[in-house]
Amino acid sequence: MLTAVADDSEQLPASAGRRVVVTGLGVISSVGVGVAEFLSGLRAGRSGAKPITGFPTDGYDHAIACEVVDFDPARWMAHLDPAELGRASQFSVAAAGMALEDAGLTAPDLLGRHGLISIGTTNGETRELDRLVEQEVTGGPERMDPAIARRVNAGRLSAAVARELGLTDVEAVTIPTACAAGNYAIGNAFDAIRAGEAAFAVCGGADALCRKTIAGFYRLGAMAPDRCQPFDKNRQGMLAGEGAGVMLLEDLASARARGARIYAEIIGFALNCDADHPVAPNQDSVARCMELALHNAGVKPDQVDFISAHGTATRANDVVEARAIRQVFGPAPPRTVSVKSMLGHALGAASALAAIGCALAITEGFIPPTINHVETDPECEIDCVPNTAIEASPRIVQNNALAFGGNNAVLILSKFEEHA
Amino acid sequence: MTAPIPADGHPVITAWHAISPFGKRRADFVDGLRAGRATAAALDAASDHGPDRHACLVPDFDIPEVLGRKGTRAMDRITGLAIVAIGQLLHASGGSETAGSAGESREDLAVVLGTTAGSVQSSMDFTRSSLLAEKPFYVDPGVVPNSVMNCAAGHAAIWHGIKGPNATVAGGRLAGLLALNYGRRLLNSGRARAVLCGAVEEHSSARAWLEHHSRADPAPRDTVLGEGCAVLVIRPPGLAVAGERPAAEILAVDSRVHIDGEPRETAAACVAHALKRAGVRAEEVWAVAPGGASGPAGQGEHRALEAMCGGAIWIRCASLIGDTGAASAMFQIAAVLSTADRAPDSAGRVAVVTAAERDGTVACAVLRLLGGGSFE
Repeated sequence: MLTAVADDSEQLPASAGRRVVVTGLGVISSVGVGVAEFLSGLRAGRSGAKPITGFPTDGYDHAIACEVVDFDPARWMAHLDPAELGRASQFSVAAAGMALEDAGLTAPDLLGRHGLISIGTTNGETRELDRLVEQEVTGGPERMDPAIARRVNAGRLSAAVARELGLTDVEAVTIPTACAAGNYAIGNAFDAIRAGEAAFAVCGGADALCRKTIAGFYRLGAMAPDRCQPFDKNRQGMLAGEGAGVMLLEDLASARARGARIYAEIIGFALNCDADHPVAPNQDSVARCMELALHNAGVKPDQVDFISAHGTATRANDVVEARAIRQVFGPAPPRTVSVKSMLGHALGAASALAAIGCALAITEGFIPPTINHVETDPECEIDCVPNTAIEASPRIVQNNALAFGGNNAVLILSKFEEHA
Repeated sequence: MTAPIPADGHPVITAWHAISPFGKRRADFVDGLRAGRATAAALDAASDHGPDRHACLVPDFDIPEVLGRKGTRAMDRITGLAIVAIGQLLHASGGSETAGSAGESREDLAVVLGTTAGSVQSSMDFTRSSLLAEKPFYVDPGVVPNSVMNCAAGHAAIWHGIKGPNATVAGGRLAGLLALNYGRRLLNSGRARAVLCGAVEEHSSARAWLEHHSRADPAPRDTVLGEGCAVLVIRPPGLAVAGERPAAEILAVDSRVHIDGEPRETAAACVAHALKRAGVRAEEVWAVAPGGASGPAGQGEHRALEAMCGGAIWIRCASLIGDTGAASAMFQIAAVLSTADRAPDSAGRVAVVTAAERDGTVACAVLRLLGGGSFE
């Protein structure tokens, strides 16, 4: 059981807030479903890239993506009918159930406690919208399938989690802040628990690969032909991905009280906006977001053991992000890796999956690699841990996320130590 | 005007704007609501508005005309509405309505916008263009950002140079209340000194078709579809501008999810919990503003409020401005503030704003009216 959440009268000011710990993880990814598969994938530097099978890709010169291919939604749903949900909601529900189970909790343990379900996404159920457009193009708008039309509201990514878990006393919120959404959703949960507003949070991100994503990124020239090579001199762009990463967060007192395994502690978060360009990141603004997060965490740049970069492998992102990192961390920044080299860009799920990777790296004592790496771009000038994971004992880790709309969000995780 | 200005405790609403089917100015909203003026009108048969013949549209909202030609070629209606509404709050004359009037820099100012699924028209148009093109990637690169749900918030920040937290929250009819809670949490966490907290919805053929197909019952809707954007300025307790009397205090925001049993019970639990956290008894509630969705969710909400706050004034704006989707709860708040503004005895009293979605989510905000935030 979790300890009871305080009434508002007992709320602590944010500056002296509760400690927030990660006690459960759930993963649906292109390198495997479940924490164990995901961990072995990160350690081995496995690539999730393969030809797209979810929808026709005729007309593209290349259509490789990091698709989830071994996912059976029915396996993860005892109460909801998978046919009621779009693919992104299926991912979020499954990963949430997995995170709860991984935390050693069952839904009845959470009854009577006020919680937060905070799920980030880029496209929500756009894959379902795409299907409606296909129906409209062939049969006219009258022929759209009502069952699909009822799946499209993005709010369902979080509401469905509550319904599957049978949790009524929860704030279910979906945060569609594009490719930084996972960090946003975790940051929102961090703030809620730290302030004593929620006893637990099920938080992360989910996205399903869709036609719109492929067409858009391909047209923008951002899509690599076959592999994703962050920070490489000859990188050719991103690969689209999909999946979900969900964490169970709770305050330290409740984790202690029930003797929970603690993967990591969340110690800081920041978000800001470039207010500059709709798609191109702004170096100063990205640097500022990192500084705000470090300040929020109360750590100095030289305490960070590695950075999990946004690292999309587009020409623009990697240079701007690496320069922003040097701006904050100086000429010898910490190792800076991109798990997108393995997972592709799972959009709203991306930074949630990366945050889970950070928590696992802290727990298991390694730094995940940046695969497909041949030669570091001299304009990036970072040690991206090329191709092979390294054994290490990271204590403090920074997880970056950047998005269209200039939406930046940075999360700081730490090894859990009794006396922080 | 007798309520004291709170020095600490709860965040406050210090200003608001609504661009609605009543018109682009806040005064249009206040006057339209006061007059009970219905805005549903026949749609132009020549253009594609989907399955409906009537809608409540923001009048004369031609984006290039309102915002100029520069940077608006590919702008969708949601984005245009949000930019205009936020701009009104930032640049309104009189100082007291300026979001930056407390002296915070644009780094300390946040934007939070509620949505259902962004512009479904933009998203579906984009996919259609890809499906119909000779090659699937022969699409307009200029509209790629429009098809992402944070487009309106991100663009509004670019347009107005707002560099603080920039967030979008999705929740259909709950979106406004979820945005309010997200904004309140940003303030509580010290991540912003003021939040432009709003919700926006556009009318489009795509949205009308989705709405048409999603309805469980074949009966005609009680209200036609509407559109618009309502935005509040919210500030932490004690940070209100000197001499500026806030419009309301945000005492509590609660939301929950209906699992089983009667929807009425979930709605009642939500309202009861919010009132308890606010420290207010149900019989003290001066006004209620329900979302009024059709179907079991809306009926449950209605019955819960009737049983708990039956004696309160009921404020309904959907019958006048239509079903404004993601913007509806924020319009409900605007309607409460508008109504309070012409009821001097409302100062110090409490209003309850609720929303219920057919996916099972319900939310409730409890506001204490402070008699300020006046528009004239």
